[in-house]
Amino acid sequence: MHFSEDDLREALKRKDPGEGFTQRVMVRVNQSKAEDTTQPAIKKTNGKFLSWWMQRPVWAVAVVAMLLLAFGVGGYQYSEYRHAEENRIARQKQQQLQQEAERARDQAIMALEIARAKMNHVLQHAQLQAEPNDKIRRQRL
Amino acid sequence: MEQTAAFEDDRLKLALNQALTGDAQAFAELVRQHQGMVFSIAYHFLQDRSLAEDLAQEVFLELFQSIDRIQSPAHLTYWLRKVTSNRCIDQGRKKQRRREMALEEAPEPVTASGQTDPMLLERLQQSLATLPEKQRLVVIMRFQEGLGPAEIAEVLEMPVNTVKSTLHRSLADLRKGLTRKIREVRYAFF
Repeated sequence: MHFSEDDLREALKRKDPGEGFTQRVMVRVNQSKAEDTTQPAIKKTNGKFLSWWMQRPVWAVAVVAMLLLAFGVGGYQYSEYRHAEENRIARQKQQQLQQEAERARDQAIMALEIARAKMNHVLQHAQLQAEPNDKIRRQRL
Repeated sequence: MEQTAAFEDDRLKLALNQALTGDAQAFAELVRQHQGMVFSIAYHFLQDRSLAEDLAQEVFLELFQSIDRIQSPAHLTYWLRKVTSNRCIDQGRKKQRRREMALEEAPEPVTASGQTDPMLLERLQQSLATLPEKQRLVVIMRFQEGLGPAEIAEVLEMPVNTVKSTLHRSLADLRKGLTRKIREVRYAFF
């Protein structure tokens, strides 16, 4: 059996939902209105807020991109700052260690100087005491 | 004819603007103007009067909740077709459609054309119900709503070429289905 496109159009002709359809829809609309008024204000605001963004996907993408960029730049700057701070602290520690080493070296040199002076003094005393004994020994011989 | 169309368009624009301000009467007017389209898409897809009415009511309820998104009467028509199609597919997936129909749910005899065979129309509707969801919607959009492939592609979010091939395949399937039904009837008689 063949059919034409007109037959198909005829078969798919618009049909009326019947009497009272509009009234039934309006009853449901009014019910939904009543439910809406009993919903908490925050939920409604959130819904409106979300739907506002849903209607503007380009804006939403732009805002998300901006936020990501801001977080990225902020994160990078923070890591740079931390890196610089760590370097500064390390340099400070190195300087402190160097200063302490120099101080220790100076103290060691000073101790050696004192020891040398004392040794010289002792040596001079020993030589002075040894000289008269030598004269006596020569006279006995 | 053009004047009537322009008058209708103006009336819809006015109703839409008033509905945007929360006018219930204007919204009811929008429902009245589009109920045939929404109900028919649902009815031809689901082949169930009560399910179709329920679906159509839900579509209008959704329209009421998102009326502030509608920009023009043309956008309203596009939006209603799109939402109805999506809901039809959802409904089709949710429920296994009942094959047996109550007497009052059976397709009404078409009276507009005296030349078309009422039995053929009934068989066509039955064959349409056997098509896969997307194919069925494409056929409904093409022959009920009179949309072109590009418009169907926009409403159903499909590539235009897919719409064309789907339409071609659907018509072939409908022909096959119809021939099979006629054979079944012949075997039953003879």
